[in-house]
Amino acid sequence: MDYPADLSFLFTSPTKVVFGAGASADVGLELAALGCAKALVVTDGFLQKTEIVAKIVASLGRACAGIFSDVPPDSGVHTVNAGAELGRARGADSIVSIGGGSVMDTSKGIAILLTEGGTLLDHQGFQLLTRRQTPHICIPTTAGTGSEVTYFAVIKDHERKRKLSFGDYHIIPDVAILDPILTVDLPPVLTAATGLDAFSHGYEALTSALREPISDALGLHAIRLIRRFLPTAVKSGADIAARGQMLIAATLAGAAFSNSQVGLLHAIAHVVGARHGVHHGLANAIAMPHVIRYNNDVVADRHRLVAEAMGVDVRGVSDEAAGRKAAEAVSAFVAEVGLPSSFRETGVPQDDLGACAEMTLSDGAIVQNPKPVTDAADVLGVLKAAWSGKPA
Amino acid sequence: MGIPFFSDEWIAAYKTAINSNAAYKTAAADWIYGVVALICKAQPPAFPGDVGIWLDLDRGVCREAKAVSTDEAMKAPFCITAEYARWKQVLRKELEPIKGMMQGKLRLKGDLPTIVRAVQAAQELVNSAAKLDTKFIDE
Repeated sequence: MDYPADLSFLFTSPTKVVFGAGASADVGLELAALGCAKALVVTDGFLQKTEIVAKIVASLGRACAGIFSDVPPDSGVHTVNAGAELGRARGADSIVSIGGGSVMDTSKGIAILLTEGGTLLDHQGFQLLTRRQTPHICIPTTAGTGSEVTYFAVIKDHERKRKLSFGDYHIIPDVAILDPILTVDLPPVLTAATGLDAFSHGYEALTSALREPISDALGLHAIRLIRRFLPTAVKSGADIAARGQMLIAATLAGAAFSNSQVGLLHAIAHVVGARHGVHHGLANAIAMPHVIRYNNDVVADRHRLVAEAMGVDVRGVSDEAAGRKAAEAVSAFVAEVGLPSSFRETGVPQDDLGACAEMTLSDGAIVQNPKPVTDAADVLGVLKAAWSGKPA
Repeated sequence: MGIPFFSDEWIAAYKTAINSNAAYKTAAADWIYGVVALICKAQPPAFPGDVGIWLDLDRGVCREAKAVSTDEAMKAPFCITAEYARWKQVLRKELEPIKGMMQGKLRLKGDLPTIVRAVQAAQELVNSAAKLDTKFIDE
């Protein structure tokens, strides 16, 4: 694992992380520490009916300015605008988001509007904001997206049928409260899929064209934790220790890819998600072994690290062979946690793979893939392998 | 001697350089997304205020290049803003623009995925500028 002499990078991860079983009860204290007094609670309709939100709202007490619970799984501009409207009406000076990636990304959008005004489309861009946005505390209820520490938000513009990407250091949440108790009821299949999403963040941060040593360390340890604790979290959802380590892994991997970016794997997952509704984490899980094989001639030394982090014995073998072992180990791991191994099983029609390949080529994530991807035929090769579940 | 950075003369030379760059013409053949504006933040005394450049780009051709106010530049569908030192790094090919955007060294108003899809064209725009004999204001 050598770094070039002209290595140059920028790493930032300013979020305060508060971890522990029951840590979400500290939300009121954390809000006060931020100097805030009225928080808009943002969540989804399902969670709002649970004890999770009720307890957090109780902890906030009078500091809860209102609850916005209209966040759908695929949140959009209208949702953000509506949330901001409620926040303004209630005089909110901060946001507490409780949920998965969609809730946290929606909250990042609301944070922009509460500070900058206007509608979300007025602020479309990358690193465009010039000042601190509305203080934001994230309380994730899944262990996958890492959005609690990332500078990204993806929000759909349903009218124009496109996804808006926001990337800005000023929308990185101020506080992430990782409370494993909040994830114990997550069903096994979602636990597995979100866990593999976090794994894919670690993998792509480690291999991205923008890879650097700090993200490497975070990504590698995330993979180690996921290898060790995801199977337990899937089989024994109430295991607080495993749930906690998975939350930490997701946060580590989030910080890693927020700095080093992602690549071809995420570009594929975005497309099969958009065209065929395949869960993002599941899509990453299925395509990852095949992307590893595709990238292997360029970043085999990195794949050796992945293999080692997964406990594979790669002593005495070449980097290329170690990379192939890493791909095999990921496939076996995906099966071990009970996820399907092919897009065929998820209902992606074989005759749409060509269109998926073309669309993947124009996804923004592909730019930082370690092996430049400019030919749709290359993507199609990966997709065909992922569809059948067998190496090309 | 060199052409002063971001001067009218530099802008005119930049337009010529873009239009004589065959690689840009090929890479940007599909660019139909409109004007790309550039803003250099104030750098006194040479630039007491922010300065803007308007590049009307269409299918591999720069139809117009002119100096504009920052207000006007911000009306373009894509506007990239940076400090003088960052632009200097870009022109010297010490800072790759997409990486610079990811890291907040350049700020983009507009749709990032559209820009990243045109990564080759963006690189050729930089190559076109790098070919100019630029006189930097701090040298």
